[in-house]
Amino acid sequence: MSRFGAKKGKKLPGAEFTWDADPNGEPDTAPTPLFPKFTVPRARPLNPREQLQVDLYRQLREQFHDGPYYSVLKGASSSSKKGSAQRASFDPFHGMPSYSGRYQKKKRDIPYLRGRPYAVMKFFPRDDLWQTIEPNFKPGQSLDGWVPQGARTGVKRGFEVDEEEEEDAVKRPKGEDEEAGEEDLLDGDEDPEEEIVDDNFEEDEDEMGGDYNAEQYFDGGDDEFGDDGFGDGGGGGDEDTY
Amino acid sequence: MTSQYAAELCTLLVDDNFGELFATIFATLIQYDRLTLPRLRAYSRLPDNQLHHGLAAMIQQHLVYHYTSYEEGLTYYEPNLQSAYSLVRSGKILELIEDRLGKYAATLMSTIMFLGHAQVSYLETLPELQPQQTVTTEEDEQLDEDHEPKPEVNGINGEGEDPLPQQPFLLHPTLKVLAAHGYIHRVREAHFQSYADNVLDCERQIKARPHVKQLKGKKLEEKVLELTAEMLRERLDGDLTRGLMFNGVPRGAKRRRGAGGTDGPNKKARVDYAVDDDEEEEEENEWSDDEMGGDTVPMDAGITVRVNYEKLDVALRNRRFLDLAEQDCSPATIEVYDNLLRRIEYQTKECRDSAEIPREGEEGEQYSAPVSLAVLAEDVDPLLDLTGSIGPMEVSQPVNKRGKRLLDDDTNGADHNESNGVSSGANRPYEVDQHLSLLAQPPLNLTSKRMVHGLISWTVEFRHLARKLRHLELERMIEARYGDVALRVVRVLHAKGKLDEKRLQEISLLPFKDLRQVLASMQSGGFVDLQEVPRDAQRQPSRTIYLWFYDPDRIRSSILEDTYKAMSRCLQRLRFERSRLKEFLEKTERSDVKGNEERYLSEAELTLLDQWRAKEALLLGEVARLDEMVAVMRDY
Repeated sequence: MSRFGAKKGKKLPGAEFTWDADPNGEPDTAPTPLFPKFTVPRARPLNPREQLQVDLYRQLREQFHDGPYYSVLKGASSSSKKGSAQRASFDPFHGMPSYSGRYQKKKRDIPYLRGRPYAVMKFFPRDDLWQTIEPNFKPGQSLDGWVPQGARTGVKRGFEVDEEEEEDAVKRPKGEDEEAGEEDLLDGDEDPEEEIVDDNFEEDEDEMGGDYNAEQYFDGGDDEFGDDGFGDGGGGGDEDTY
Repeated sequence: MTSQYAAELCTLLVDDNFGELFATIFATLIQYDRLTLPRLRAYSRLPDNQLHHGLAAMIQQHLVYHYTSYEEGLTYYEPNLQSAYSLVRSGKILELIEDRLGKYAATLMSTIMFLGHAQVSYLETLPELQPQQTVTTEEDEQLDEDHEPKPEVNGINGEGEDPLPQQPFLLHPTLKVLAAHGYIHRVREAHFQSYADNVLDCERQIKARPHVKQLKGKKLEEKVLELTAEMLRERLDGDLTRGLMFNGVPRGAKRRRGAGGTDGPNKKARVDYAVDDDEEEEEENEWSDDEMGGDTVPMDAGITVRVNYEKLDVALRNRRFLDLAEQDCSPATIEVYDNLLRRIEYQTKECRDSAEIPREGEEGEQYSAPVSLAVLAEDVDPLLDLTGSIGPMEVSQPVNKRGKRLLDDDTNGADHNESNGVSSGANRPYEVDQHLSLLAQPPLNLTSKRMVHGLISWTVEFRHLARKLRHLELERMIEARYGDVALRVVRVLHAKGKLDEKRLQEISLLPFKDLRQVLASMQSGGFVDLQEVPRDAQRQPSRTIYLWFYDPDRIRSSILEDTYKAMSRCLQRLRFERSRLKEFLEKTERSDVKGNEERYLSEAELTLLDQWRAKEALLLGEVARLDEMVAVMRDY
């Protein structure tokens, strides 16, 4: 207001913020204090209702933790595969199993699905997970009257990366055949096998980063009395040269 | 909702509840949003077996949506943030249910939560739902007296030892009560697909219909929109309340007795009033009613149920309103309000019609279902003293209209009424009406009166109240951060719209210095902002008007983010604290130590354990408080 009152000592705009006016203020150039005064806000203690809510939450969480689905990622253990990254990060001081670990809470690394019936299978995606939930399930048959609609062909999309194509090559044709219902007789035997094979493949892949294994390139060549002698042992991958 | 901190929070919650495997899958899905199984495997770097099992379990817990596309036959997975978030609300929900429907209902609810979704037939087999562990003794006795001779129930699984036959009996009524309240609903296939997928799927199906195909242009669009909405409703409908409501009240709704309601006189009063035993406190008794004879059949064993979080939001919101009313109303008024809200809750399915909270000022008026006064008057506990807390009744002296005399007489009259609290039965509706009118007063306008078919009915204007809640929350926060001066400024800005500094100063009656400091600090905090309106094309600062404004919508969303962040920090802190005490906590979790801590742990360790529990409770309690804010800002 005073600005328009045309007083004689007209102040500059912002003059009311000068440090001269405020004796307690610090100059702009002052170093920032190392430990500025700070009142730590403290939470109110819980009232009974909140306490009850928290207890119920913890109770439910405990139930989850004890339940079949709670699973942690696999920690390093001395039993993990030789040469794997997990083995390398194994802690020799605390990781060894000891007698007192007998009572330790066991942690599973994979949810345990078998413990209960999953009556309504159609709640789960058919192609990917039915077999996981119901090990007896054969992809060809129809369960509780539900028949897959239309022919589902495993169309490969254009932009999939190489590493996947191989898996696809292993998996897809089989999937197609089974869906057509041609191999009904063999299915029961084959399924677990397939899974195992797939699993191994996956792990190997992690190690080698694909089919090509540079480290064994020359090893394969050294082995002059090898099968073909053409030195393409890199493709052999798994064969032990020693 | 896929903001950074929301995602972080949800991942932490999943981790806290279900462990690292779920969290890894969930985090990957959040990061990449929609993945097929091979892609997911590549990104998450999990072995096949783990991934398959993890995904299946997560679908069971509704943490992941999946959708198998029609053309490609590929299945896509998506994270379900909403249900991951509702993990944090589980404590609140269980407490609410325990409060309303008793301990057993809460146990049942937590079991359903634990299972994700479950078939009724499976619930029957669970040992933890056996009544002898969970049901309080008095309920048990009651049950024995009342329902022992029921042949129907015994017929189902009468064999076995004594407590077993009771079990499905207690289970099914409780399930029905939960279903009637809408707290659980049936799981449909469409619940496993995300909303967008469902919409697209419906649209595709509708467009394939021959009579729709003939339409063109705008007509087609409208038709598709209409039919899609209809189809969606049909598909997502998991409502179990049908046939379980009785006179607009779910069966087994526990009537709350007045605070001082001792049991003896209560029962006598009931006889006096000739209220049928529908009013019994024990929920089980309601099934012995003759008029519901047909309903003693257990729930259909094939139904799959899960928790209905939308409905529970409604219940929690009502409770929040009740807390709001509690600040300046008498207990009797609260009781009446509680009854009104309860009635409304039975008819409200979700908090909002629209998916998003409407913008400030654009929300329109959305009234709840009206509840007629007569019904309400019946609902209110007959022993509740309504007259004591409101002003003198005009009815008691219609003749006397003079100023001072009136007061004296009235006081006497009120006393008289109070002494035999029940006697005022005749003008009960009037008293209830008075209480509700009290609630309808500004500034909160907790209720509003309407006439429906010539009957007085009461409703609640939800949108208005939700907005009020938001504003109160924001104002509380501003006051805590910037002081009361800031609060005043914000209120002025909110009431008047955009103001330049001079006007603002005139209206708020503050010295320039204070005002500017406060405005500057609030601007840096993002609560108010400045708009420049140049008066000429050059945009010179001297010829520009600067207007301050306060935009509640913008602040709401930024506060929401901050709240997510605060919650996730709390959880991270909790995790850190746990890692500090890791060795010790593992010791307490050992199978031999757990349960008999006093025996195996030393004195110091016991104190440490207590301290840890208190600390954890405090952090989790803080998260729950923040969740209340999230609810206000996002859900209500």
